[in-house]
Amino acid sequence: MGSLARAYGRPLALTLTAILVLWILALILVPLGAMVQQSLWWKDSAGDLSLTIDRLYNDIATLQLDAGNATDAAKKAALDAEIATKQGEATALEAQELNPGKQWGLDNFTRMSSLHLYIFVRTILYALMVTALALIVCYPVAYVVALASGPRKAIILTVALIVPYAINELLRVYAWLMILDYRGVINGVLGWFGVVDLDNRGWIPFLENPSAVFLAMIYTYVLFMVFPIVNTLETLDRNQIEAARDLGASTARIHRRVIIPHAKPGIAVGCIMTFMLSAGSYSVPAIMTRGQGGDWFSQLVYRQFFESNNWNMGSAYAVSLLVVCTAFILLMMRFFGVGLRDIAK
Amino acid sequence: MAWTAGIRPVGTTNIVAYGSSMRGKDVRLDKVSIRFGDSTAVQPTDLAIHAGEFFSILGPSGCGKTTILRTISGFIEPTDGRVLIGGEDMVGKGPNERPTALIFQNLALFPLMSVAENVAFGLEARGIGKAQRLKRAQELLELVALDQYGDKKPADLSGGQRQRVAIARALAVEPSVLLLDEPLSALDLKLRQHMRTELRSIQKRVGITFIYITHDQGEALAMSDRVAVMSRGRLEQVADADTLYAEPATPFVATFVGEQNVLRGRITTLADDVASVETPIGLVTGRAKGALKVGDEALVMVRPERISLGASNANTVPARLVSRNLEGPSVNLLCAAAGQNFTVTVPNGPAVRDLPEELNLSFGLADALVYPMGALAHG
Amino acid sequence: MSTATDSPGARLILNIYIGLFVLYLFLPLAVMSAAAFNSFDYPSVTQWRGFTLKWFVALANDQRLLQGLVNSVLVALGVIVVSIPAGLSGALILTRLGQRSGTVLYSVLVSPVLTPGIILGISSLIFWREFGVPGGLFVAVMAQSSFIASYAMLLFLARLQRQDRTLEEAALDLGASHTLVFRRITLPFLAPTAFTAAVVAFLQSFENYNTTVFAIGGEWTLVTEIASRLRFGLSPVINVVGVIFVVLTLLAATTYVLLKGKPKRA
Repeated sequence: MGSLARAYGRPLALTLTAILVLWILALILVPLGAMVQQSLWWKDSAGDLSLTIDRLYNDIATLQLDAGNATDAAKKAALDAEIATKQGEATALEAQELNPGKQWGLDNFTRMSSLHLYIFVRTILYALMVTALALIVCYPVAYVVALASGPRKAIILTVALIVPYAINELLRVYAWLMILDYRGVINGVLGWFGVVDLDNRGWIPFLENPSAVFLAMIYTYVLFMVFPIVNTLETLDRNQIEAARDLGASTARIHRRVIIPHAKPGIAVGCIMTFMLSAGSYSVPAIMTRGQGGDWFSQLVYRQFFESNNWNMGSAYAVSLLVVCTAFILLMMRFFGVGLRDIAK
Repeated sequence: MAWTAGIRPVGTTNIVAYGSSMRGKDVRLDKVSIRFGDSTAVQPTDLAIHAGEFFSILGPSGCGKTTILRTISGFIEPTDGRVLIGGEDMVGKGPNERPTALIFQNLALFPLMSVAENVAFGLEARGIGKAQRLKRAQELLELVALDQYGDKKPADLSGGQRQRVAIARALAVEPSVLLLDEPLSALDLKLRQHMRTELRSIQKRVGITFIYITHDQGEALAMSDRVAVMSRGRLEQVADADTLYAEPATPFVATFVGEQNVLRGRITTLADDVASVETPIGLVTGRAKGALKVGDEALVMVRPERISLGASNANTVPARLVSRNLEGPSVNLLCAAAGQNFTVTVPNGPAVRDLPEELNLSFGLADALVYPMGALAHG
Repeated sequence: MSTATDSPGARLILNIYIGLFVLYLFLPLAVMSAAAFNSFDYPSVTQWRGFTLKWFVALANDQRLLQGLVNSVLVALGVIVVSIPAGLSGALILTRLGQRSGTVLYSVLVSPVLTPGIILGISSLIFWREFGVPGGLFVAVMAQSSFIASYAMLLFLARLQRQDRTLEEAALDLGASHTLVFRRITLPFLAPTAFTAAVVAFLQSFENYNTTVFAIGGEWTLVTEIASRLRFGLSPVINVVGVIFVVLTLLAATTYVLLKGKPKRA
């Protein structure tokens, strides 16, 4: 605080600090804390409780019948007393049913059904596959863009990469949906050649295959893989490549020993971003599968919130996803030896 | 030529009128020491700079001179001790509350403002109205012969012109002390030499205190009333240029300012301030500087131009002429005697054109200065 | 299209690869755009029923999409208002902090960029409900700002690294107050970056779906509206929206290339 006051003067330093604290608290840390807190409690399911209440009312009805039939005054009084007690119990339970108590614990995490757990694990694996595929697709592209000769060429290439990404993510997914849909472009073309019969619903169901999501996802997030690699490769001295070639190294060896080691930080950042985006993507699987293909975990989270209306469970799912993503980021950072400052280029 | 416009002589009438409102103040460092973490940038230092004086601090890079300048201007708080300007304690006062103005090494002209806005900025900071401050800026630009350039951006000016803008901008706030952090280092040699005289004449006319930081001894000696030589965070000597050159207090000052022939040896006799030193070329007598004892290792320093040819002085050395380098008005003779190299500077002329290979070098007792050996350790 | 260091064969293969890649990027967009002009009421290019502009008319009359557009702009403006000051404060403070405390703060401030978008939407939704604010445009602004402010901060940080610190010192030395230094020196220096950051923030906000869909509640933006329609089937009206985006983007990109591609004076 002293150095800030010296740099900006007290009033300005205080204003800046206040804005920063607000940002950290109201937009980052406390919302995150609220989500974690939400994931750690639940309200007792009302099912057992309402059964008990129903049984009490049954008992009361029987007792009332008995009391109505009773002739002995003393017996009637005893029955009335019993009815009053049961009525009291039922009222108390009804109040509890309306406002069940909070229970704290990790149950939201441990109660994840085996189907959901399967989808969770599958989503992580899918995201890893998308990341690996994106790396394979993007590496040659990044190599060419980074080492392209002439500033004009580099600009045109860069623009060619950026233009699709300036267009809405959703619309890009939509374009693929159009292509792969039952009546989409591919089925349409196949229909021309008589390979499929659209009129009798004899189309190929591309969208029901998980690779449809892969295709659209790589398409959507490919930029996040290309640009970090381009950034690091641009700093590579081309003489190194020429020197290696001059020394008789094969192309594969040059890539393995010279270019890839140099691009390592960029590869790490690209993988981190692509994994994080695809593991947490709701748009691509939600639009591409339309309930036809297998669910991704983000869709489960969405349904917990807005269909089952179980925010506690939904939060627990979200926290699980966050934990996996954080772990992946930390692992990649450790493995590739990059710091946070490299990630934010 | 872009820069010839820059070295137009400075108008004198305006500066007198303008300078009349400025008064120099004295600057005093009272046991100031500055540490950054574990490292000491400035050792405890006392220094008194007189009001209206052109004072230079000379030293190699990293000696702490810029740290002292930034302490006087208020960017650095001293770890210990205090800075007084005009007798007033500056503790706790920021750079914007001190009667000083600093000319930065890179000049730090505001690139997004016009030249006139740059000059007027200090007045803007003092809440002076736009019309008035731009009028003052125009006066100051006339003072530095840039009155045609008020609407230009600093980037459109030549190096020398930017220099003048920086000076005008600093003078606009009517400082009592002008601090200059090697402002000439980016200029080419010719312009630099011209700016020396110009800075000196501006200082004479405005009469305020100038504190000038440099690693260039030529600059310091040419412009200053007094010079402080610094090394490793310590003031070695504070004196006028002549004293500094003729009577360097320490071997560091002796070697940093001007050239020296250095002999190592051991003291054999010591009487009053005359020391005899056994050196590779034999016994040399000179004037003792600093604390010496018989038997101590010592350094003997002789300036090249204090050595003459022939055997007429207290110390005489037979030597062999190795080479002869013509410098123009003078000639440097490189000689060797008993494994020891000597440089001798003599005036150019017919007498030094055909010298024999074997000759005698001699220098007087007063020309050889004897310093304790240990003192060079921190040079 | 390739480097001088590769053999001709490798260069050919790389060029073919790049060609295919560019095709992969642009073909879907071309298909989507073309279908906007097909009068067939399922978006298609294979079943061509003649050229039409009727889907453009349909979009102009589509109140929900138009309202979504208005909402998207409102949210994006809100995001600019929140995230530019936040990012600026973060960057200004970070540049003046020491290595150790700086790194901790930096990690916290950058973390939203590395957090899946749905998490940001969910946590904002839960947080604001505690204050009785249900999902809606306001919560969407807050949720998006949490990470867009980080992007803005990174832009400001990069700019501040190129700042000449002596300019601020010179201004201080000339007697300026810290506030004046900030207003006359620091802010003008950062102004171009603030503009860039605002454009980036607007675009990021406008196209955001993963965060918004959780935070938007009963309201909608252009993007969430398109997404919810896609659940029920495809309509050429969406293609029209796509065409408009493609045209705007191409215009912007062409301008950029023309400006950048000009040979610069040495």
